[in-house]
Amino acid sequence: MRKYVPKDNVQKKSYYTDRFHVVPRVPREKVEDEHFVSVVEALAGDVKESYIEIGQLVLHINPEDNFKVLKILKEECGYTQCSEQSAVDYLAKDNEFELFWQLLNITEAKRVRVVCRLANASAIESVEPLFKSANFAEREIFDMFGIKVNNHPFLKRILMPDDWEGNPLLKTYPLQGDEFASWYEVDKIFGKEYRDIIGPENRDPAKIDVEDTKRFSRVGYEVEFGADYSTEEKDIEYSETLLVNYNKKSSKQLDERR
Amino acid sequence: MAQHQVNYASTAGLPIALTSVDKLVNWGRSNSLWPLTYGLACCAIEMMASGASRYDFDRMGTIFRASPRQADVMILAGTLSKKHSEFARRLYDQMTEPKWVISMGSCANTGGMFNTYATVQGVDRIIPVDIYLPGCAPRPETLQYALMMLQKKIRRESADMKKNTKQDLTTQTGKKRTRLI
Amino acid sequence: MQVSNKLTPFFENLNFERDDNTMVINFGPQHPSAHGQLRLVLELEGEQVVKAYPDIGYLHRGIEKMAENMTYNEFLPTTDRLDYIASTSNNYAYALAVEKLLGIEAPRRAQVIRTALLELNRVISHLFFVATHALDVGAMSVFLYAFREREFAMDLMEDYCGARLTHSAVRIGGVPLDLPEGWLKNLASFCDKVDYELEHTYEALLTENRIWKMRLEDVGVISAEDALSWGCTGPMLRGSGVKWDIRKEEPYELYSELDFDIPVSDRCDSYGRYKLYMEEMRQSTRILRQLIPMYDDTEPQLMAHAPQYISAPKEEIMTQNYALMQHFVLVTQGMRPPKGEVYVATESPKGELGFYIKSEGEPYAYRLKCRAPSFFHTGLLQKLLVGTYIADVVTIIGTTNIVFGEVDR
Repeated sequence: MRKYVPKDNVQKKSYYTDRFHVVPRVPREKVEDEHFVSVVEALAGDVKESYIEIGQLVLHINPEDNFKVLKILKEECGYTQCSEQSAVDYLAKDNEFELFWQLLNITEAKRVRVVCRLANASAIESVEPLFKSANFAEREIFDMFGIKVNNHPFLKRILMPDDWEGNPLLKTYPLQGDEFASWYEVDKIFGKEYRDIIGPENRDPAKIDVEDTKRFSRVGYEVEFGADYSTEEKDIEYSETLLVNYNKKSSKQLDERR
Repeated sequence: MAQHQVNYASTAGLPIALTSVDKLVNWGRSNSLWPLTYGLACCAIEMMASGASRYDFDRMGTIFRASPRQADVMILAGTLSKKHSEFARRLYDQMTEPKWVISMGSCANTGGMFNTYATVQGVDRIIPVDIYLPGCAPRPETLQYALMMLQKKIRRESADMKKNTKQDLTTQTGKKRTRLI
Repeated sequence: MQVSNKLTPFFENLNFERDDNTMVINFGPQHPSAHGQLRLVLELEGEQVVKAYPDIGYLHRGIEKMAENMTYNEFLPTTDRLDYIASTSNNYAYALAVEKLLGIEAPRRAQVIRTALLELNRVISHLFFVATHALDVGAMSVFLYAFREREFAMDLMEDYCGARLTHSAVRIGGVPLDLPEGWLKNLASFCDKVDYELEHTYEALLTENRIWKMRLEDVGVISAEDALSWGCTGPMLRGSGVKWDIRKEEPYELYSELDFDIPVSDRCDSYGRYKLYMEEMRQSTRILRQLIPMYDDTEPQLMAHAPQYISAPKEEIMTQNYALMQHFVLVTQGMRPPKGEVYVATESPKGELGFYIKSEGEPYAYRLKCRAPSFFHTGLLQKLLVGTYIADVVTIIGTTNIVFGEVDR
């Protein structure tokens, strides 16, 4: 029977997990800092949940309020810089994305993280009019997760090529790429008809091609560089990665390094 | 001042050096290898270092050129991503014959540690490579050694480039070997 | 000789004689002054840039995806390849983020070594900036001089960790090695050398140089408001008159105990930023000098004591059974940090380098986001280049000091 691999999350899983292992949680503290309390008060109705995690205030909001909340944070609470914004893929578990905005207040030296949960296949409002840094960051979110951003001035792939298929940071996307990714450069440069000639990618660094006399010295059975070995009888056994029978007698030592 | 006296009577008239055309051409080619500044990633910094003060590439006749039309060697220094691969091939095609390629660093050789969706798994999938240079990142001395090995290779070759065997682009299918250059 | 395929030359990049008399030119991705693989599509009207569109992603290697498939310790050497000019600052930013998540702190000696390495990397990176910026603008000799000093700094790094470029010199929970003998003496003489050369070579060659001033003054002017809005950090922000340095404001490691100044320039142009880089190098050597006596007062412990997450020292692994078992589990399965999320920002030579880590209690990070300063500085180019002349484009790219390893990740 084929081993079951979950399709919705193809990332690497831990090899062994103790059944009785209880995962601890980073402590979430109550908001007591004076400045943070005033921030939470300023946003009164829009915050679903607020706590402090490792020195930074975390605010959970509804996805449709994001522009409003960030505007209040910028104009009333002095969070003038959006350091970072990105998303986390929770499609497998909840069919949702988690989006976060990391804001910085320079006068108070405080950081706030605004977090929201966005349902799959819905769009988020762009915060580009408030923070210009969102211009690139939102394009990256669109590229990597496929999350649409409303009212973005130039929503286009940024890191991957324009003709790329798939969104690489989704949990359904394998690390080593799909079929399209593995042939991308061959298709683009030479055309699909050259796929047979160039061959598939070698993702195994220990693989030996027995017939390749240019890249691999056939230990114990040396032939001339570049000789065609494809028609000869094979008297060497190779396992997938190792030479099995090594003929010491017929091997020859080179006098000079090539 | 050094004084040179040539006894024309004993050397049968004129000072003559005998050589073959191959050797003469290769002498010229191998001692003025002009690489293309093709820094892609981390290795580019080491490539710059080998051109700078301490390692001084110029003493080997190696002067970096910014245009592929003026370059003989393409030093592919760093990770080649799939988005960039098309341009790498186009730059290679723009270089005039004779041309050689040094693949510098593990990323260019095999994809190295970046065994991911976005990295070309070895530049020899798209460009025929002459010298593979291991290391992550290789030291400037290593790059200079690679260049010396390339000089050695050029001196061994025929001056007529058509006679030389170039590295094939085929990797997996051993029987079909079509030259893609 | 070429097989006719899709590679036959074509000129889709150049558009001549458009109806509105503008010309579109393509800058990069292979350009000696593009600092890597930047592709800029510039729309020109005569000599003036009307529209600039930075196209990035030519060095995208999927580092964030790799982080989701690697244990925390496995991923550390990959962070070297982000900002490859100052590798240790990336190692450190990542290690600090994981340490915050685990709730551990490195021992005192490790902190001294880490701070020294961070500042040494800052000097390396700034020397590289001066070298390449001067080379782009046209001052070749500065490039050669700056690389000479940079090689001495590389020697120091090599003495400590064995690598020139990709250091991996900082580990989660501390540092792997103690300083070799005589390292601090070499460091002191390196500081003297840098200070001397700063004054007598670089500043003598550049600061009052007429050509240098003409090329840099009033080029690439960023207002403080723009700098904040576009997400500029580090020298780009301080060059616009905003005094913000994470080392001072949110001190990590030993920065709260050290005495140093934050240079600020309100010129807002490339020349001000160049002066700032020079001054920052002076401050770095000042910090390095203060660290030298601090080293001797510390205990020899190098890694934090947290048996759940960090392997015990080698002697303990070799002699004690339980330490060996812990080590075996940590190596084969990887550490399992608690569930939670963390964002930690550090002041890398380029600006604010932050790591956001979302942990679900597995040995693999659920999501890792690297907040790279250069990414946002590249975004700024689309505003900064508009209205400038084509000859200033290279100066402006140089002054942003972008590194494509961390732009594209």
